[in-house]
Amino acid sequence: MSLGKTNKYLGGFLIAFFLTAAFLGWVWTPFDPLAVDLRSKLQAPGAVHPLGTDEYGRDVLSRLLAAARTSVTISILTVSFAVFFGIILGSVSGYARGWVDRVVMLFTDTLLAFPSILLALALLSILGANMYGVVLALGFAYMPTVTRVVRGAVMSLREQEFIEASRLMGHPVLYTLRCHIVPNCLAPVIVIATSMFGSVLLTESALSFLGLGVPPPAPTWGNMLASARPYMGQAAWLGIFPGLCISMTLLGINLLGDYIRDRFDPRMRGL
Amino acid sequence: MMRFVLSRLITAIPTLFLVSLAVFTLIRLIPGDPVSLMLGDNVDEQAYAAMSQQLGLDRPIAMQFLIWLKALFSGDLGHSITTGEAVLPLVLHRFGISAQLVLVAVAISTVIAVPLGMVAAWRQNSSFDLSVVVGATMLMSIPTFWMGLMLLLYFGLNLSWLPVIGYVSPAEDFWAGLIYLIMPVAALVLHETGILVRMVRSSTLDVLRLDYVTHARAKGLTEGEVLRHHVLRNAFGPTWTLLGLILGNLLGGVAVVETVFTIPGLGRLIVESIYGRDYPLLQGCLLFVAITYVVVNLIVDLCYPIFDPRVKSV
Amino acid sequence: MSSKKRFLLSTLPVLGMLCGIPAAAETLNVQITADIRSSRPGVNRDALSDSVALNVGEGLVAFGERGQIVPMLAEDWTVSDDGRVYTFTLREDRLFHNGAPLTAEIVKQSWEALMAAPDFTCNIYFNGNRGSAVERIEAPDARTVIFTLAEPDAMFLKNSAQSLCGGMAIMHADSFDGDGNWKGPVGTGPFVFDEWKRGQSIHLTKFAEYVPVGEGIDGYGGRKEVLVDDVNLIVTPDRATAVAALRSGDLDIVPYLSTSEAGELTENPNFQVHAAPHGGMITLLMQTADPVLSSTEMRHAIAKSLNIPELVDVATNGLGEANASLVPIGSVYHGEVQERAIDYAPEEVSALLKAAGYSGQELVIQTNRRNPINENVAVIAQSMLQAQGIRARIEVLEWATQLDRFRNGNFQLSAFNYSNRSDPALAYSAVVASKEDRGSAIWDDPEAIELVEKTFQTPDGEERQALFDALHELYLEQMPFVMLANNLDVSVSASYVQNYRTWNGFTRLWGVSLDR
Repeated sequence: MSLGKTNKYLGGFLIAFFLTAAFLGWVWTPFDPLAVDLRSKLQAPGAVHPLGTDEYGRDVLSRLLAAARTSVTISILTVSFAVFFGIILGSVSGYARGWVDRVVMLFTDTLLAFPSILLALALLSILGANMYGVVLALGFAYMPTVTRVVRGAVMSLREQEFIEASRLMGHPVLYTLRCHIVPNCLAPVIVIATSMFGSVLLTESALSFLGLGVPPPAPTWGNMLASARPYMGQAAWLGIFPGLCISMTLLGINLLGDYIRDRFDPRMRGL
Repeated sequence: MMRFVLSRLITAIPTLFLVSLAVFTLIRLIPGDPVSLMLGDNVDEQAYAAMSQQLGLDRPIAMQFLIWLKALFSGDLGHSITTGEAVLPLVLHRFGISAQLVLVAVAISTVIAVPLGMVAAWRQNSSFDLSVVVGATMLMSIPTFWMGLMLLLYFGLNLSWLPVIGYVSPAEDFWAGLIYLIMPVAALVLHETGILVRMVRSSTLDVLRLDYVTHARAKGLTEGEVLRHHVLRNAFGPTWTLLGLILGNLLGGVAVVETVFTIPGLGRLIVESIYGRDYPLLQGCLLFVAITYVVVNLIVDLCYPIFDPRVKSV
Repeated sequence: MSSKKRFLLSTLPVLGMLCGIPAAAETLNVQITADIRSSRPGVNRDALSDSVALNVGEGLVAFGERGQIVPMLAEDWTVSDDGRVYTFTLREDRLFHNGAPLTAEIVKQSWEALMAAPDFTCNIYFNGNRGSAVERIEAPDARTVIFTLAEPDAMFLKNSAQSLCGGMAIMHADSFDGDGNWKGPVGTGPFVFDEWKRGQSIHLTKFAEYVPVGEGIDGYGGRKEVLVDDVNLIVTPDRATAVAALRSGDLDIVPYLSTSEAGELTENPNFQVHAAPHGGMITLLMQTADPVLSSTEMRHAIAKSLNIPELVDVATNGLGEANASLVPIGSVYHGEVQERAIDYAPEEVSALLKAAGYSGQELVIQTNRRNPINENVAVIAQSMLQAQGIRARIEVLEWATQLDRFRNGNFQLSAFNYSNRSDPALAYSAVVASKEDRGSAIWDDPEAIELVEKTFQTPDGEERQALFDALHELYLEQMPFVMLANNLDVSVSASYVQNYRTWNGFTRLWGVSLDR
């Protein structure tokens, strides 16, 4: 199991590294990430700007740090939104069945067939050009997956003896849901949620490429990567660094996710 | 069986209705409209009013929806505002183009990902496993628009092996069409393989820990036999479900890949109709995408017993 | 295609099949950023549709290189003393693509059909709304067409030559099917509209019977000699892909490149980069009805905070040239007065802000990501304003949303580009109007409105120059918005392409040859 441990530590290290970066970006950056300096645009990495400057002469390192904060926030908010509402909808629908189930599934299927770009456009126009529109749009896009998984798990749980017992003991439905059902279907949710963290970063980047996503000038890894594309020949570092941040975060999440999965999968306990 | 299919199709009707209603309302509530876009910075209120009236956009939204629904029941999805083409044939044509791209890409990814994922799981924590995990993560973390551009620059420009732009339908000319499909398919395959490998690996891990695998091993079967007879079929079930989701997702639009590789597919059409506020076209596209979802999921469910022996019949 | 041997393509006649022509033909492959909206000139159009239409069709007159009116299908014309009757004499021996000769009757039918079309973009110019109504069109003989206007209109010819009206190209009745529906353009231009694969490409072929007239290239008119066999306009939405295709030889011309990408190609000997300003305007609009911006001092403070030459230089990657006047630098009306500008004067800003009663209110600059110049202007202007103590924030909107806000005047500051205006009077009328009449009006001032009105009624000459001078003086005094520069066309073509220039936003395909 020594490689398993390596995975855990490597994953943990990568995540800790980017979380620290996000926190650092919140309190301090070497330069103002939004400050335009036209005299030093498109500078290659060097002593003053360790990771170079972009097309407006903004310091790439500072922007990456600030972006770490935005990207991590977007990731966490989106996944929390999807998981929170996904669990509520999924457990209610799986437990209640009947018409409640049908209504929830109708809603879920509608969301699945809906392009997130349209949702993002609508929400950005309502909430103004900031990251919350993107968070909500992606949250809605990811929610159906959680709902479906939870619903499936709840449906099979509900037939098991200990749930039956809880019901016979006269516990209210909400209590049964909260204390018996939800904790027992957390394992698959955790597995999905970990993979979502990374996927959100990528989807935000694709939205930026298509002209939506978190609006500049506020940096995210995704929109930095998307706006670096025209400069791929001249200034490759503009794309490489945010790209590396996304890749490494994803790698960390996946490695750590494997570990978490082994810990939380109830069938694995005691193995 | 027929009854199952029929009932599934009937229960899908409310979903389709809701999708249509939501798209219809949302796209009209977003600021910006097709008439403004057509007039651009040459704003003239009189021309604006006349064009809105001609397109029927001056009526209340509820009224417009009823008119659209009524036409829908007679099989008429209307005409695109931007190009004047009939929506239905346009959507079908573009869908065909996206579908061939997606189906080929997903098929290739599956063929690559299943053995890789299984062997990685079987040799969990070996250096092979670690390299598969790291490789897959790297692949899935490169956005397709970067991957696409890198392929274009390398194979199209540096090596001059493949054409950089253009599209030929394989139905018109099979070999020429194939050449134009190589790079977009490769970009999709590289990305989707990354995702699929991880999926197969984790569901294989689940199966490997089950008692009957231990039992099969105890019976003295070789590892190869265990993998082939017991693990493959059981591990493929969840992968198959997610494959359905991926397929549905991709068929609804590979807008990014289509934009990079100048492929006139459905994804690009949807994005263009959103930005162009081409209401009838967008409504047609999304209704079609919703139907595709329903059908793909139905097919996935119908095929489920083939791949997962635990599910006997539907 | 390219000088390099192509491994797969050489084994398969792919490109021949793509173009549908023998391999020996001289084909020009040109990028088009989006598909055209329709093939009918002036109907359901955008700038790209106009660009294709003007290669295929011709009107009675056309715009020349410096914005003057030059003869096209009409060899000559006279205007009656009351300015209401225009009599055109048609050229002899002009042929339509179907072989039919041009007659006065066809001109009359073509105009009448277009003016009757409900979705004709230029209706307002010919129905008495923005120009005089066309009362009647007569064809007394095969070579004479007489237009009678309801009232005198000095702009009549210029209105009809506009690209958004498709240059009022004369179309043969064969352009329509039996039921009167549009089929495809049958015009008199140097290119035949051959095939349109929607979403993919437009194929134009050389019109073999076309007889070039006039001397040299001159705007939409002049000598139109086609030096290639056919042209493929290939829909390529992604700019990075288009550049890669240009490098690989899959494209010969990229007619509209963003200035940032062009900057990189300028030094490469395999490419020719041409940047030319046109009549479009790069502006920073100010909403004069806004509580903060209604003060003239405030608007002057903003103008003096901006180092406009530097802003323009960076925003256009060194390709643009600052112009304080709405009269384009290349226009015959751009004189000494138009050179005057509000200069960068940071030392005067704080006094002006004080006079304006500015107390740190945050201003929002709207922009979009569709046009990189707009985004650049917003980012740089924000940093220049901040440097002088004017708080500003950028709001990046999707293009249709920004346009909607523009139409309703719903903004404080907006980095906005106006499309090409073929005459300075049209440029002024785009911004000058009463805000009550038009939400998109920027400069609402009775004196300016009256002056612009007069420029429309005054024929070309010194009197008209005086009006434009007065307008510019008034603009500098009131500073209703910041005019930064004329927008520019940046085209890139491969080194073996001869004589290609994007002119006033128009992909001019005649006169272009290949010399590999």
